[in-house]
Amino acid sequence: MKTFAYTIKDEVGIHARPAGLLAKKAKGFESTIMLEKGGKSVNLTKLMAVMGLGVKCGDTVNVTVEGADEDAAYEEMQTFFAENL
Amino acid sequence: MKDKIFGVLQRVGRSFMLPIALLPVAGLLLGIGSSFTNPTTIETYHLGKVIYEGGLFYTILDIMSKTGSAVFDNLALLFAMGVSIGMAKKEKEVAALSGAIAFLVMNTAISALISAKGGVEAMAENSTTSVLGITTLQMGVFGGIIVGLGVAALHNKFYKIELPQVLSFFGGTRFVPIVATVTYLIVGIAMFYLWPIVQLGISKLGVLVLNSGYAGTWIYGILERALIPFGLHHVFYMPFWQTELGGSMMIDGNLVTGAQNIFFAELASKSTTEFSVSATRFMSGKFPFMIFGLPAAAFAMYRAARPEKKKVVGSLLLSAALTSMITGITEPLEFTFLFVAPLMYAVHCVLAGLSYMLMHILNVGVGMTFSGGAIDLTLFGILQGNAKTHWVWIIVVGLIYAVVYYFVFYFMITKLNLKTPGREADDVQPKLYRRSDMNEAKAAKAADGQAVDRTSALVLKGLGGKENLSDLDCCATRLRVTVKDASKVQDALLKESGASGVIHKGNGVQVIYGPQVSVVKSHLEDFIDSPQSDDLDSIIGSVSEEASAPKQEEVTPKSTESVASDHAEITIYTHMNGTAIPLEAVEDDVFSQKILGDGIAIEPSEGKLFAPCDGKIDTVFETKHAVNMVSEDGVELLMHIGIDTVKLEGKYFETHVTDGQTVKKGDLLITFDKKAIQAAGYPLTTPLLICNTDDYSAVQPVAEGVVSAGETAIKINQ
Repeated sequence: MKTFAYTIKDEVGIHARPAGLLAKKAKGFESTIMLEKGGKSVNLTKLMAVMGLGVKCGDTVNVTVEGADEDAAYEEMQTFFAENL
Repeated sequence: MKDKIFGVLQRVGRSFMLPIALLPVAGLLLGIGSSFTNPTTIETYHLGKVIYEGGLFYTILDIMSKTGSAVFDNLALLFAMGVSIGMAKKEKEVAALSGAIAFLVMNTAISALISAKGGVEAMAENSTTSVLGITTLQMGVFGGIIVGLGVAALHNKFYKIELPQVLSFFGGTRFVPIVATVTYLIVGIAMFYLWPIVQLGISKLGVLVLNSGYAGTWIYGILERALIPFGLHHVFYMPFWQTELGGSMMIDGNLVTGAQNIFFAELASKSTTEFSVSATRFMSGKFPFMIFGLPAAAFAMYRAARPEKKKVVGSLLLSAALTSMITGITEPLEFTFLFVAPLMYAVHCVLAGLSYMLMHILNVGVGMTFSGGAIDLTLFGILQGNAKTHWVWIIVVGLIYAVVYYFVFYFMITKLNLKTPGREADDVQPKLYRRSDMNEAKAAKAADGQAVDRTSALVLKGLGGKENLSDLDCCATRLRVTVKDASKVQDALLKESGASGVIHKGNGVQVIYGPQVSVVKSHLEDFIDSPQSDDLDSIIGSVSEEASAPKQEEVTPKSTESVASDHAEITIYTHMNGTAIPLEAVEDDVFSQKILGDGIAIEPSEGKLFAPCDGKIDTVFETKHAVNMVSEDGVELLMHIGIDTVKLEGKYFETHVTDGQTVKKGDLLITFDKKAIQAAGYPLTTPLLICNTDDYSAVQPVAEGVVSAGETAIKINQ
């Protein structure tokens, strides 16, 4: 299991578009990728749940990756967050 | 309440389609037949050698003209019966019979009063007519419509009435013609006193028109059109055409009075160099909107119809448009939108009035035998020469009218979402009930305060269920049923339903109820058509469990659940009024590549977002431009108003629901300022997406083209 924390820099936070892209990315890995904010943790592939977190600019989220390809997933998710959010 | 009125109006409009479908054919017969048997036409074109009274052609044309007239002369009866049929909920044949009887009774009551008051001579001129041989007041189609609507209302109220045992033979459907007869006897008496007041007002208007020049011509045109639905246009225009109200003139030494008489006298006269517009101002205006305007309106209605309905609606509209163009008989076309979109008819009246005025101003002198179609234009305009008639202006103005009618009508239909033919909500197919329909029906029932029909459930179960029935009928006291498997019949249940005895004969079963059996049968038939008939045990069971509870107990939601989960297909409905487009056509990759899920998108025609199904709001975005909800079946939905509108940070949006709220299909979720958002540079394309598309075997977008909220949008297979 690997975890990283990330503080959202994108002005509009994780709304529909980034949630969609995140889910698409997460579905590409075998590992389970969870997104946690304020004690609430959701599976990144569950679009509605991700949107439901209401992540805004300045919020800090924790991303947890666990599974067979967790190293690759961890790398890619970090890059994705840094580039898009 | 507004929706209810609208719903009724829509049913009225649809019920008119049956008689209207006949009109184009009748119009062609009448138009062609009467144009070529008109003595003036024959004389003017020297057709006397071919077409003469008693000759073959004349007789054929005369038959055409007279059979066509038969339809138009009895239009009121057709409407009395047609509207009764269309508006009756069940047992429509009884409504049709009652409509015919009520129509005869009403007119006969009026007729008796007319002779009591001194006969036709004592009545105002042009105010009476003969309907089916009955001398009565000239009420036109309006007379038929008040009969149709009233009878249908009586029918729906009384067709299941239960009378005391002694009179029970007259109960149920047999009561409908009886009550209709009594009611319309009274209505007839009332009409005899009320209708002449209306007629008087109209002839007073005529005097006003005559004294006010171009503006008067305009008003004349508006009124002439506006009176058509009431059948009062004859009362109004005939005096202009036939009496000195329309002017008088010396022609070849004879004094001629009336606009139409003047025109035909000028036509016959060799000294005419130019037709008198002071006479034709009451006629020529018909040509531009009848030959050009209305057919263009028909085309607009065709364009605005839903794609799957275009074929059906197209044939109706095309024939109606051709009838208007060729013969100048416009009712078939006008009646298709008059009742579903009265506002459109109002606009039509104003434009038609304007057409009369333009013809007056442009000095167009084309007359007509009875209406302004291409036949009359050819005979009395083109063939007379432009120098005499200035008919070219009809074409010029007509072409402009075609464009105006098309755009005005198309704009009105789509913007106001008018239910012109091909845009109506679909009839609910009883056999195709889905779960949401079922819940709706239940909710509606509960709202009406009606009970789940336990008696019918008992009867049906006692007879072995819907599948076991092969034939269902009744005589004076017994339900006569043929079943497929007699061993499935349970006498105990039938007796619990109120039967006094059950007789078996092979596969024939007779259940004895007494004279109220026709009511039992009507209820049972309703029940079989309802979705509840799939769920007998829960109706019978849920009541029996709590013996003390009143038998009107609602079905418990749980039992509904178990039935509904058998249905593998889920339907999601359109979330907006507007134009549906495939997701692939949305100009945003996240949507068009279905990254957020499959679905449809709508270009909204108004700033409102509605719930596409029953369910629960999951999240309303803080920026108010999108909402997540979960349907009762667990479908996860995202509705996202506009592209990139997250950047507006909630400006121009207003939400009407909160997280966790339960909503019903059609509830208003979000309103938004359409103009302001567009002005800010954002497209308003609004996708409706199934976020958990992967959970289903198939997600199939259905809606396309112009839609209103609540139509089938997406079908989902589990």
